[in-house]
Amino acid sequence: MALRRNKLRTFLTGLAISWGIFILIVLLAAGNGLMDAVGKQFSSRSTNTYTLYGGMTSKPYKGHNSNRWIPLTDKDIRLLENNFPHVDQVSPRVNSGGNAVYGNQLSPIVLSGVRPVYAKTNDVEMTMGRFIDELDEKNNEKVLVIDENVQEQLFDPEEDPVGKLIFVNDIAYKVIGVWKGNPNSGGGECFVPFSTLKKITNKDEYSMLNFTTYDLDTKEANEAFEKYLRTQLAHLHEFDPEDNSSIYIISTMLQYLQTNKIMNTLQIFIWIIGIAMLISGIVGVSNIMRITVKERTNEIGIRKAIGAKSRSILASIVVESMIITTLFGYIGMWLGMMVADLSGDIISKAQEGNMVTINIVPSIDLGIVLMATALLIVCGVLAGFFPARNAVKIKPIEAMNYR
Amino acid sequence: MIRLENINKTYFGAQPLHVLKGINLNVEDGEMVSIMGASGSGKSTLLNILGILDNYDTGDYYLNDKLVKDLTENQAADMRNRMIGFIFQSFNLIPFKTAMENVALPLYYQNVNRKKRNQLAMEYLERFGLKEWADHYPNELSGGQKQRVSMARALVTQPKIILADEPTGALDSKTSAEVMQILREVNQTGITMVIVTHERGIALRTNKIIHLKDGVIENIETNNPDQLDFNQEIK
Repeated sequence: MALRRNKLRTFLTGLAISWGIFILIVLLAAGNGLMDAVGKQFSSRSTNTYTLYGGMTSKPYKGHNSNRWIPLTDKDIRLLENNFPHVDQVSPRVNSGGNAVYGNQLSPIVLSGVRPVYAKTNDVEMTMGRFIDELDEKNNEKVLVIDENVQEQLFDPEEDPVGKLIFVNDIAYKVIGVWKGNPNSGGGECFVPFSTLKKITNKDEYSMLNFTTYDLDTKEANEAFEKYLRTQLAHLHEFDPEDNSSIYIISTMLQYLQTNKIMNTLQIFIWIIGIAMLISGIVGVSNIMRITVKERTNEIGIRKAIGAKSRSILASIVVESMIITTLFGYIGMWLGMMVADLSGDIISKAQEGNMVTINIVPSIDLGIVLMATALLIVCGVLAGFFPARNAVKIKPIEAMNYR
Repeated sequence: MIRLENINKTYFGAQPLHVLKGINLNVEDGEMVSIMGASGSGKSTLLNILGILDNYDTGDYYLNDKLVKDLTENQAADMRNRMIGFIFQSFNLIPFKTAMENVALPLYYQNVNRKKRNQLAMEYLERFGLKEWADHYPNELSGGQKQRVSMARALVTQPKIILADEPTGALDSKTSAEVMQILREVNQTGITMVIVTHERGIALRTNKIIHLKDGVIENIETNNPDQLDFNQEIK
């Protein structure tokens, strides 16, 4: 076939196709990776969780000065638990520092007193044993969930920490489980039942309050709820309901909706770039095919003179462009997928020890890849077909004398 | 073999050009004729019409007693393939095919299988002394060799008629003499031959010289090439 004697031309045609597919795949893979990474931030959590943090007032109100500290207290828990609309389960968090001792090993830790629902609202990932349950909470059990960091410091690698007793500030706790730890805080966060820690520390000030909600599915409903919640809290603590820094209210749902909007825009952007890429690939392929056929006009004339029928010439050109586009399309697809996979692996590995929460791992939607490749192949073939059809229409004698 | 009745051909361009103005011509089976004329006399157009490479406007063209008129493209291709062998001044070999592949190509369009094709192509190359050159590409061959390859290609389908357009136009006189000698031998196997040339020396090696001038046949000269000393220089 003509392919093997026109290596450069064939190679250039192929390169255009391979490159188009390659860029498209890498681009889509990177986009997908970003979506996945952001999606993962939300997917494992329960659909809607509110988190409250205490804050500082920024304006004077009803005789109170500004810059007044507003703590979260038992009053807030009672407010939320006492038939507050849409509120499901409440988990406050009370903190206390100390040293954990096991045998002759010592590790500084932060004790967080939380309720069982905290595991769900804050995405606590267990690697061993179990999390705090309702019974622990009810009976003020001295049980402890340590993180992997503390496990490493106190226990031998072969030793099973579950069931062991460790001392924290001279009080003995039984280890019931190990969790992965919070990568953003350097580790050392251990969980005990809220009731237990509250009794020990006798604190009425909480660093944070989590609660889950029900029947809050839309942006509007969440915004209305947040406004109502803020008014109620303002009434309770006597601060200006318009003063947003007094108590921080964070809704995963609202965050999620907002991020979703950004992601959707980004996705549209990526698609536009991808389609533009594809179009430029198609234009490139079409152009080269057109030139290729033009260059072969003499040959077409000769073939016709010695008895070739138009159909057979047309078929051979179409088959040829099909072979080129398919072969190089496949190569581009394969390379693109390889690069996407490889960079995915490298990124995952690089971030394994890292304390980064967003892992952008490129991934590929095989259906879209195949569709794009098929589209380019079809266009390549059509790009060969139309000029070829025009070329075979020329009278053989004119084609033979074509320069 | 060939019968032309009042053939007219006009090229419609910016200035319509009446190239052939009523050509009447008979070429008998097994004849070897040449068409001579100055450039622009219409000789190449006539040959293209004879070869069904171009169409004519009015008149009738009978090839082997079949009227060649208003043929579909496929019918024309089929007729060219089975009846006619072409030899061109510029050889018109396909550059990326070997000598053997070039010779075998017309058989491909007759759906002859590859083995048979190559076998026949080799036979014809051997006949023209090109057996050793079978795997060479056209650009590795001399002019004479190229023309012999194209003669092999013209003959491989065993056509009824060979049409040669200035077959020696690109060759030196010695090679021209060789090519004419081969064409002569081919003609003696019974194949009708029409050669377009503007060289008197070439025309003198055919039985009939048709002089074309301004689209009409001026006169037809009968000639006996056997009286010619074939070793004499052509040009």
